[in-house]
Amino acid sequence: MDRKQFNGLNMLKATKKASTTLALSLFPFSFLLAQEDTDFLRSMGKMYVVVAVLAAIFIGIVIYLVYLDRKLTKLEDQIKNHE
Amino acid sequence: MKYWWKALGVLIILYILLVGMLTPLKTGILEASPANLHTGQEATLTVKGYNSNFTLEKEKLRAWLKMDSTRAIAATRIDVVDDREVKLTFPIPAYLPVDQPVKDFTLLIDSPADGASVLPGGLVVTQDSIDTTKGDLLWVNADISQLHEKQAFTFPYRNILYETIRNTYYHVPMWMAMFIILTAGVVFSIRFLWKANPDDDRKAMALTNVGLFLGILGIVTGAIWAKYTWGKFWSWDVKQNMTAIALLIYGAYFVLRGSFEDPEKKARISAVFNIFAYASLVPLLYIIPKLTDSLHPGAGGNIAFGSQDLDNTMKLVFRPAIIGWTLIGLWIAEIILRTARLRERLLED
Amino acid sequence: MNLFAQIYHLVRKEFTLEWRQKFAITGILLYVLSTVFIVYISFQNIGPQVWNVLFWVIMLFASVNAVLKSFVQESGYRQLYYYQLLHPIAILLSKMIYNAALLLLLGVLTFVALGFVAGNPVQEAGNFALALFLGSLGFSITFTFVSAIAAKADNSSTLMAILSFPVVIPILLLLVNLSAHAVGLLGGTEIWEKIMLLAAVDLILVALALVLFPFLWRD
Repeated sequence: MDRKQFNGLNMLKATKKASTTLALSLFPFSFLLAQEDTDFLRSMGKMYVVVAVLAAIFIGIVIYLVYLDRKLTKLEDQIKNHE
Repeated sequence: MKYWWKALGVLIILYILLVGMLTPLKTGILEASPANLHTGQEATLTVKGYNSNFTLEKEKLRAWLKMDSTRAIAATRIDVVDDREVKLTFPIPAYLPVDQPVKDFTLLIDSPADGASVLPGGLVVTQDSIDTTKGDLLWVNADISQLHEKQAFTFPYRNILYETIRNTYYHVPMWMAMFIILTAGVVFSIRFLWKANPDDDRKAMALTNVGLFLGILGIVTGAIWAKYTWGKFWSWDVKQNMTAIALLIYGAYFVLRGSFEDPEKKARISAVFNIFAYASLVPLLYIIPKLTDSLHPGAGGNIAFGSQDLDNTMKLVFRPAIIGWTLIGLWIAEIILRTARLRERLLED
Repeated sequence: MNLFAQIYHLVRKEFTLEWRQKFAITGILLYVLSTVFIVYISFQNIGPQVWNVLFWVIMLFASVNAVLKSFVQESGYRQLYYYQLLHPIAILLSKMIYNAALLLLLGVLTFVALGFVAGNPVQEAGNFALALFLGSLGFSITFTFVSAIAAKADNSSTLMAILSFPVVIPILLLLVNLSAHAVGLLGGTEIWEKIMLLAAVDLILVALALVLFPFLWRD
């Protein structure tokens, strides 16, 4: 096996590993894609749909906070440079 | 307390989270099987209840198959299996007093403990041959009277919706808060053109920013809810489309703001656009959904969510929810406004 | 000169200018014809529903292009000259009237071209004509005003599309709905309600545009 091939194989492995890690880290959200048969969200009278909506609101607020935070940080930097 | 309204907003959100999540649903009927019955049959239905307590006072349990507003068949036998399951036996006559080959019936169960619960249109009876005169003769009408009502703080039970009826407090008010806040933004845009005070434009910008955010939240939460009640994230529903257009318009507002250097010009022209866009949006949000069929409540062909659904119990949570989300939105808008003021002061120095 | 005389002269000026430099109108004409032809060769079989939607989409894009030049492509010196001489309302109204006439012509043209290649599904000609009239009026009002806004910014052609499409969607939806009645897709008696609604939206927008326009001009 020459070096180039080996590198390619290694890279393939690395990609595979990364994608598995990604898939695993995304796993908690995969229930969002669930269809009728394997249904977690529809269990308990669809209670988890309410939970998902509340989670979406919370995530939305967090993203908005991060956006505002970054705007403020930029402003603070400007003030610091100004002085 | 200068910032009492922020505390009020937080308290209201806490209240709607607690009451909205902890209040149980009313008793309902999940399903009844078999769903297809025939005339001349002694039909035994296995009925599954939701939040039901069939074993409590089970002698007083009553059940009917309702054909229309005046005619019904009473159950002759009621066997309670457990709290969530009951077997009902109905004698279905050999002929029905209607000339339809297939007639749908509504199942109604009344219990002193749980109140009356309904499975609307869940059952059909097939007639082998139609003879309305014989049907009239054979019909033994049962009187539906003295229905009980559950004496507890509960939310209504709806098939398809089930527990997601609670999303009324977390999704619908987003949309109303968006509308209130965008309206406030337009008011400040008008005031800016009137008085030429640059602070008014900053207020309009901050409010519109928050309105856009609430709109996005409304669309995302609506999509999740839609997926598990109507089947798709995007159901080509009028109100979903309208909100998407509203977001496009306000996205354009911020694009417009970004394309000016001169702050006075930016403020003036974006105020003009804000007012014009808002005026073209209002007919969209209020009139067009009424013209077209919608899955949302208040439109034609929609049974999932009738007027009785927003009953007094729900109003107790829903109305504060609008105020609560609006106050939280105003709080965020205030933070954006203060940031913008600081930036302005920095530029002035 | 009073307001009406100003408007009259400005509208006449627009028509004369258009007549002198025919390339502008010929360009839009070619635009419509080629769009209709492209649409025809891609669809071949066009049913009433598709016809209805295609008609208004072609109208929409042709209108944006036609109106774009009213403020965005006019030279700054000429504008400056007008503003010193004339009332701002006269300028806006004259442009709106001229554009409405242009768009009406454009609509008739699109109708003829699309009818020629794809057949004419219109059953109630009166209603369709009314929809076309109110539609060109609405498009003209919205696009003229938005082009006045966009003209104030840099790279205004792009901005024009971004700003005007979302704003015009309500009118477009009402129009598609209204002309769906005319091609026999929708029945029902609420057609007058929709016509009144469209007229009301047009009226509100034109009133608002007249009130807001002076603020755009304070440079």
